[in-house]
Amino acid sequence: MEEDPPTINKWDGNAVKNALDDATKSVMMNHICSKECFRLIDGRLIISSLAVGFSLFALAYDYLFPFPLSRSVLMLCVVCYFVMSAILTWHTSVVEKGTFATVLKEDPSHIDPSDVWSASSNIKRFDTVYHLTLTYKCGKTKQVKESSAALPIEKYFDVNGKLLYDRVSREVLKLRDSIINKMN
Amino acid sequence: MLGKVLSLLGFPDDIRRMNFRQMMYQGLNFAMIVSSALMIWKGLMVVTASESPIVVVLSGSMEPAFHRGDLLFLTNYEKDPITAGEIVVFKVEGRDIPIVHRVIKVHQGDADDNTSVKFLTKGDNNNVDDRGLYAHGQVWLTRKDVVGRARGYVPYIGIVTIIMNEYPQLKFTVLALLALFVLFNRE
Repeated sequence: MEEDPPTINKWDGNAVKNALDDATKSVMMNHICSKECFRLIDGRLIISSLAVGFSLFALAYDYLFPFPLSRSVLMLCVVCYFVMSAILTWHTSVVEKGTFATVLKEDPSHIDPSDVWSASSNIKRFDTVYHLTLTYKCGKTKQVKESSAALPIEKYFDVNGKLLYDRVSREVLKLRDSIINKMN
Repeated sequence: MLGKVLSLLGFPDDIRRMNFRQMMYQGLNFAMIVSSALMIWKGLMVVTASESPIVVVLSGSMEPAFHRGDLLFLTNYEKDPITAGEIVVFKVEGRDIPIVHRVIKVHQGDADDNTSVKFLTKGDNNNVDDRGLYAHGQVWLTRKDVVGRARGYVPYIGIVTIIMNEYPQLKFTVLALLALFVLFNRE
């Protein structure tokens, strides 16, 4: 992304958020650590897969043993499916909380657990401010430090909608530095 | 590499920047939407005890009560007895199409056994009873032919289903467009 920043439709809030999220992730991978942690998205994938699995099982069972016979299995699968949907919603809103990137900085001596840097963001509907939060969790002391910024999106895209990667990079590194300063 | 292939095929930038896991999630998201619709349908089947809880009236044989395109909500509880005057939806053995007509004659059979009842149906707007529609040699309908009893209806909405079935290309186009929209819309 550093060499070829994307050009997007500036008026599409979703595209703006995705572009800024991807740019932030790219900065983190290049300047903090390149080892990404997929735990959150894996969790989401597993929950969704289980939900779809229940529904496919219900479909197959009902096909092999048509309705009145499949009643109890259908009932069970429907309940399980909606329970998994609720778990997925809980996971997205409570566990993830808008986090889109997590990188692990390993301890050079491989004794202590890795430090975790994660980024979360949100843009309110029809708003022009991108709220970015960088969170640091020390592997050894389990201390958590956070730094946020409210970034007006017009500063990070040019007239044609091309992302100004250097500016985004500066903001992310400013947040990182403010966290490092808080640690000392 | 994959990004370059996708950009050649004309996919929007948002999609090209997704990694493998995000693409899997897009696919699963689409699967979940389809599954939700499926599970709601199966759930309705369980709750109403009918194999087809919602049907569309396909002909004008029940006018002025029901018109072509009306959507009917059915239930099929065993313990509800079938009485003359009720509107039932039934399927003739060997044919898939559900028929919505009124029960005009009932042979009770055993007093305690709801399943031994036999009945005759006729569309309100038809001149003759339905014996001509039944299977070869069948003169009465039984409980097992019944898909459900009409409990409520919504007028006109079913016309969409009738049009989609008469023009399958339209059905596939609409479904394909919906699928593409969900699959390629990030977040």
